[in-house]
Amino acid sequence: MNFDWNVIWTHRGALWDGALMTVGLTVLTMLLAVPGGILLALMRLSSNKLLSSASLAFVEFFRNLPLILVIYWAFYVMPIAFDVQFSALTTALVALVLNVSAYNAETFRAGINSIRKGQMEAALAMGMSRRQAMFKVVIPQAARRILPVLASTWISLFKDTSLVSVIAVSELAYTSMQIRAQTFRVLEMLTAMAAIYWLMGYPQAKLVDWIHKKYGVKE
Amino acid sequence: MTSATPQGTAPAARARKGADQPPVLVYENVRKLYGDFVALNGVSLQVNKGEVMCLIGPSGSGKSTLLRCTNALETLNGGRVLLDGIPLPTRETEVRKVRQRMGMVFQSFELFPHKTALDNVAMGPVTVLGMSEADARKRAMVLLEKVGLESKAGNFPANLSGGQQQRVAIARALAMEPEVMLFDEPTSALDPETVGEVLNVMKKLAQEGMTMIVVTHEMSFAQRVANWVVVFENGAILEEGPPAQIFEHPTVARTRDFLGHLGWNG
Repeated sequence: MNFDWNVIWTHRGALWDGALMTVGLTVLTMLLAVPGGILLALMRLSSNKLLSSASLAFVEFFRNLPLILVIYWAFYVMPIAFDVQFSALTTALVALVLNVSAYNAETFRAGINSIRKGQMEAALAMGMSRRQAMFKVVIPQAARRILPVLASTWISLFKDTSLVSVIAVSELAYTSMQIRAQTFRVLEMLTAMAAIYWLMGYPQAKLVDWIHKKYGVKE
Repeated sequence: MTSATPQGTAPAARARKGADQPPVLVYENVRKLYGDFVALNGVSLQVNKGEVMCLIGPSGSGKSTLLRCTNALETLNGGRVLLDGIPLPTRETEVRKVRQRMGMVFQSFELFPHKTALDNVAMGPVTVLGMSEADARKRAMVLLEKVGLESKAGNFPANLSGGQQQRVAIARALAMEPEVMLFDEPTSALDPETVGEVLNVMKKLAQEGMTMIVVTHEMSFAQRVANWVVVFENGAILEEGPPAQIFEHPTVARTRDFLGHLGWNG
């Protein structure tokens, strides 16, 4: 059997762009899904029944659907159902943010609940508002505590962005598949794809470990 | 008899401290329920200006609950609490104003672990009073000096002993320049060897004329520092009076029993 590893070098430009798109999608999704998760968690913890059940419904809906289905749904159904037309990239972003926000909501809720009630009381006793106490005292501690969980969500998300290739967003997976289809170099392209994903994912995982060690809450 | 103080036998007829001024806090028939459990069953009490009032009594007798009702961390099921003659408000913005006038110190310190000692103290003035970061830190430093911890300003709570954490917590409460300080069993979570340093800070505050309500199991502190001692049992006041009365001539048999259980033989 003949291998032609040159195909990777030949298409280095496209692969580079694909990798950039993958990283960009991951970063952008997380930038939106962290505030989204906090908002959903606060809604869930609110004493307002309506807010709380709306958040619960959202979380349980998107957490229990396969991400690929949400991507398809956003691409095919959303334009018809809500009469909105987004680019494939925006559609992908919407689907990813919906999914990851649901996970982050649960993570933040657990984190907020893990902070002793006395911390909130100490903040309130000083005269802080509930909002100040939440954002200045409780959430900063919760965020440090859930950092490892957010980190694994990040790594999962980084890999799951490959699913948006089904709606032709030219991230790393889609680009690799395109090159494979054009050149019939299946083994080379799949290997290259694996290598690139791993080489990008591993340092991120290590970085996250380091952040955790440096900023973890010590009590 | 352990270390009997000469003041202990002072004439009981001497006027109660601060009696010449209107009381700072008045509790009128305060009731608090947790489900079916009656935590406070109609407590009436007054706290005078500059007075150190110690609340003592068995666990679960309602002392801490009364303290938490004072700054509206708990809502009442009956009766009312008046601060300077005005009932505690219920609207959040007004409750916050009232809370700023009372400092609270908790049994478990509740310092914010993600902030240094200095920032713990400076945080209230910055977030609540809108003071500039620099001014707040200046004020915080003065207060850390006052509790003897200026050298630990940059430490995070995790790197402080229990006694040091509680002294920082006292400084943090003082940073809001409160009119009343509420202490909820401030030494109960401490190692015996660090209890003294916290009590000394509290004693200093008392000497400066701070109005203080202290829930405590430290009977010798109550005897030496308090101007007024209130004994709780089952959500009600068993007996109140100057320490000389409570510790040496309790008028209620149950007070004697309670003190007896603690090994107090005054």
